[in-house]
This record gives sequence, structure tokens and C-alpha cells, in this order.
Amino acid sequence: MSDGSSRPPGRPSAGTARVPASARWRDRAAGLAGLPVALALRLLDPLMAAVQRLIGAGRMPYVFLFPNFVFFGLFVFLPIGINLVFSVTGGPALFPSERPFVGAEQYAYLFDCGSYLDPSSCREDHFWRGVSNTAVFVLFQVGTMVLVSLLTALVLNRPIRGRGFFRAVYFFPVLLSPVVVALIWKWILQRDGLLNAAITSLGGQKILFFVDPSWAMFWAVFVSVWAHMGFYTLILLAGLQAIPSDLYEAAEMDRTPRWRILWRITLPLLWPNMIVVIVLSLIKGVQTFDEVFVLTGGGPGTATLMVVQYIYETAFANQVQNFGLAAAASVVLGLVLFALTLAQLAATRMKER
Amino acid sequence: MADLKLTGARKAFGAVDVLHGIDLEVKDGEFVVFVGPSGCGKSTLLRVIAGLEMVSAGEVHIDGERVTHLPASDRGLAMVFQSYALYPHMTVARNMAFALENMRLPKAEIDARVKRAAEMLRLTDYLDRKPKALSGGQRQRVAIGRAIVRDPKIFLFDEPLSNLDAELRVATRKELAALHAELGGTMIYVTHDQVEAMTLADRIVVLRAGRIEQVGAPLDLYNRPANAFVAGFIGSPRMNLLPATVIADDGTLRLRLGAREIAVPQATRGLRAGSAVTLGIRPEHIALAPDGGGQLDLTVDLVEQLGSEALVYAGHAGLPQITLRLDGQSRLARGATIPVRFSPDHIHLFDTDGLALPRP
Repeated sequence: MSDGSSRPPGRPSAGTARVPASARWRDRAAGLAGLPVALALRLLDPLMAAVQRLIGAGRMPYVFLFPNFVFFGLFVFLPIGINLVFSVTGGPALFPSERPFVGAEQYAYLFDCGSYLDPSSCREDHFWRGVSNTAVFVLFQVGTMVLVSLLTALVLNRPIRGRGFFRAVYFFPVLLSPVVVALIWKWILQRDGLLNAAITSLGGQKILFFVDPSWAMFWAVFVSVWAHMGFYTLILLAGLQAIPSDLYEAAEMDRTPRWRILWRITLPLLWPNMIVVIVLSLIKGVQTFDEVFVLTGGGPGTATLMVVQYIYETAFANQVQNFGLAAAASVVLGLVLFALTLAQLAATRMKER
Repeated sequence: MADLKLTGARKAFGAVDVLHGIDLEVKDGEFVVFVGPSGCGKSTLLRVIAGLEMVSAGEVHIDGERVTHLPASDRGLAMVFQSYALYPHMTVARNMAFALENMRLPKAEIDARVKRAAEMLRLTDYLDRKPKALSGGQRQRVAIGRAIVRDPKIFLFDEPLSNLDAELRVATRKELAALHAELGGTMIYVTHDQVEAMTLADRIVVLRAGRIEQVGAPLDLYNRPANAFVAGFIGSPRMNLLPATVIADDGTLRLRLGAREIAVPQATRGLRAGSAVTLGIRPEHIALAPDGGGQLDLTVDLVEQLGSEALVYAGHAGLPQITLRLDGQSRLARGATIPVRFSPDHIHLFDTDGLALPRP
């Protein structure tokens, strides 16, 4: 539109090109930081060229993959192999070569139960106690996790005051070590802890949280949710932000009540992310060890003993170190996790569709 | 069906004023098109009417009722979005039924309305499909269907054709015109395409930088643009706008145009000699004058032969490039000099502020 004579220009156009000083400094810093990398690459170049001449360009990818293969082999595949060997051998010896082969005996011992619904009817009742505790823990933890992180994500997706601050606050516990999280909560929940101090100052009776099995399980679930919800909130928040805003405007034009927008638009469109959250928290829930172990020590009694803690104690902490049995339990746990991982892959593929 | 009235409608986003006080009335059953270059505020104006944005000042009335502060859901309007905004997880039928379910209509009524709209829009075979499995044109029709089933007070269209390819755009444009003839509802339509505006509108509202430049029937805007902006925006190819100087205005107006002097044999306007004006002449109102009587000699820069017509771009020292629309069979060589005449009844004059000078 060439004319432009009939009205005075209201204000100067917004996009005048000026690079802010901070960006210039950032570029300069990046250049400086890149210098050693560039130097190293220049030194490596003749060496790589020689290798390529030797083996041909087609095989070069394997040269680059080699370091990772070494680490994976050494720290993942080798231990899995050793673990399998331990699970089919017996005795207290540490070196596989000194351990007698016993076949499936360890597994048979593990699965020797009067009734699988009653841990005390099993020969290895601690394992089954751990299985049933883990099942209860996972059930409540996943349920609570999905609900709490969904609500948090929905709130944090709204244009509330201090949204960035709250998003950061909810994510911070994820950055902490589970052990640290458990120690902090132990400090709050113990006999003379912060919570009991608050209760008594309000005129209440002290509650011995770690002596009551139900309370102990409750707090195990609570702390675990508290520590990890930020991560799942993030996944759901990303899903919420991927829903185009004009769908909500269309829904508004369509006179859709709020709850119906949630049920009929938000949740169906968030469902792929929900599945990812459910499966991921399920996998992590089954693996739970450190935070619950530090918080309750598996107690009172075996009320919060998880499968992983059972494995750890059977192999390393008990007076008789039963490596074979622990290895067998590890394999069983590994198979369960493998199945869950397949479910997760299927869910991710569904999300891509 | 309803009428709409905007009084002094302003909208600011932070410190940026997007609408500077819009006064507009839309009559019941009218098809009004908002047109303007990008950033002129036409979409914002539509969203203000929809209730998706609230005015910063001013009033909005629908059917005589003040709805200025009513949210979109309570205004009873329907909108077709540029992106269509179909619910991706619902079938075509459910997309159309969704608003009706919100209104808690009986199921039989919902089914009947969806069926009727589907027939009208040739969507009957696609009712069980999801939007993903539809072509762009079909999605577009679903979006329109979603509006139709509701029988809204006013239909709002936000650049509904801009995501379609050229051929489909023309076809859908015709369907929209037919639809308006059939439904007779009040429709407000936003576009940046003046062809859509000309072909669809009962009245066009030309917007620029948050202000209304002119409101009128398509031909009124074409024939009597109120200012140089509207003159340049409405009509394709664009009107030629040429700087000129008044030599004398005594009975006949004489202007200096480039190196030539031309007479505009129209009523006296009392222009002072030496004052600057802009002469506007549409490409279709310039004719070749091979046997004398040429007002201006032009040198051909480029010829676009379209068969039915030829667009000739030609120059004259001291003037911007001039576009001519000539007979499709005219054969002009590049570099040729052609004498031309301006059709005297179709010359527009604009003052230095761009405002049209009154014509006889």
C-alpha cells in the first residue's frame, strides 16, 4: 500500500533491528568457549583421517560408536550376564567360577508358596512381602501422582500470577537426590520432628508415623509423589501447551461449560501424555528403593519393604549373603520392568500417531 | 439473525492501540466484509464482536442488547476460524453436534440439524470421519457446518478461505455466497483479499491501522473511493496513483502530469495553481489513442498476455509505473511508445492528505 499520505504515522514501526548488548556478549563467550574444542578437533583430524584410510569410510560410524559400546558392555550387558549366572548357581562364593550350578533351584525357592495371595505362606516370605508392598505402593503412588500432577499442570497452564516461579518451585524437588529428599522428610516426620512439634503446639498428641504401618506407607507414597511430581507435571504441561488455543476459543463460541471443556477437549487431547505419565511412574514406582529405604528403612517390621530393598538386603546386608537368590529376584523384577517398558514404547508410539 | 452496533470500540494490547474507536452498524441479514492489509486490526475487530477479546473502551450491541462485557459463550454467535479449529478427536458429526449438546437439545433435534447441515454442505458421506482424514476443503465445510447447525445470531468468518488453494478458494467463495442467499443470516467476514470482499459483500468495511477508511457497497467503493488508500486497495489491478500539479482551475482543470499537461474537463473545484494533487486512474480506464488525441506518451516496460485481457506496464518520465488493462489480443512490443488517453469520467483526484476531491 504505497499511498501513506492521508494519515500521519501513528508510531514508529516496532521491529527496528538492534542487537541487544547481552546477545553480543553471549556470542563472544560462545566463541571463546568453542576455542578449545576447535583446537582439539584440529589435532584429532589427521588421526581420524588415517583411521578412515585404513578401514574405509563405510566402517567409520563404528569407530565413533566404539567408546559407547565399551561402556554399555562393561556396565550394562556384562552385569546382566553375571547376574544371570548368579541366579542359576548356589552357595556363598563370590566368583562365578567357584559357584556350583543349581539350575532353576533359586527360582523354585523364590516361587515356593502355599498361596501367592498370602506372603506368609511362602518360603521366602520377605520377597513376597516386598512384592505385595511394592504393588500397594505403586497403586497409590501412580494414582496420586497422575491426579496431583494433572491438577498442578492444569493450574500452571492458566495465566496465573507468578506462573514461572511456581513452575520452577514444583520442579525443584526433581533436582534433589532422593536420599536428600527422604532425609528432609524424615526430619519433619520423626518422633520429635517438625510436624509433631506443630501438632503438639496446637494441643494435639504426637503421632509416631514410623511405628504405624499405615502411616509409614502413607508417608512413603507422599514423599515419593512430592519428590517426583514435578517431572510428570512437566510432561503434562507440555501436552497442555500443545493443544491449540483456537480449540478453546471454538469451544467458547460453542458455549461449552468449563467442566465439559476439561472432559471432552482437554483430557482426550492430553490422553497420550497421560499414558506416558502412567507408564513411566509405574516403571519408576516398581524400582523404588532409596527414598523409602532412607525414610522408613522398610519398617515398621516389613510394612514398607520394597522388592529392591529385599534384593539389596538378601545380597549384601543380611548375615548370610545369598547372591543367588537375590540375582533370581533381580531377574524376575527385570522381566516385570521389561514388560512395562514395552508398554511404554507402545504408548509413545501411540502418542506419535 | 440479528443486527450489530459498535460505538467507539477501542482495543489496546498493552501500550499498542489496535483499534482506534470503531463506529459501525451491521443490519439484520447483511453480509459485511472487513478488508484491509495485514495488521489493520480486522481480525481483532472480529474477535471483539465475537467476545473473544473485550473492548478497552466503547460499546457493542447485538440486537439492541448491550453485550460489551458478555463473554463469547453468552453472545450467541458462531465463528469459522482461519485454522478451522475442529476438535481433532471427534468425528465430523460430533464436531457439529458439540455445540448443540451444550445447548442440551434433544438428541433427535441434534441429529436432524446435523443431517440437514451435512446435506447442505455435501458432508453426509464423511460424518463418521475424523478431521485428520478430510481434505482442506472438507474441513472448511465442517467448520462452516459447525456454525450453521447452531443457527447463530451472527456468523463470523475469520479469513476462512486463506488455507485453501486458489481453485478451491473460488469454488468455496461461490458456495458461501449461495449459502448466504439460502440462510439469509447476518454474516461478518474478514479477509485481506479485496476480490473476496468485492464478490461476497453487501457492504465492505475497509480498515487501515485500526481505523475505518470507508464503508460502502462494493461498487460504491470501486467507483467513489473516499481516499487514495481505498482507491489503491479496492480493484485489481490496483488503481494508478500519479502525482500531479495544478496549473490552473478556471472552468477546466489543467494539470501537469510528468512532462505533459492534461485537461480534466470537469467542474471547477477552486484549486490553487501550483498545489499538488494525486491523480487516480484505473488500468481499465486508460485507452490507446493511436490516431491523435493522446494525453500521455508511455514506453512499454512489460506486457502480461492473459488471453482475455492484457496487462501492460508502462513508464513515463517523472511518473511511477503505470498499469493499463487492454484488449487480450493487443500486441505491444517491449520498448514501444504508446500514446494513451484517460477516460475523463473516471479520473479520481486526491488532495495532499489523500482525501478524494468532490466530483461533480
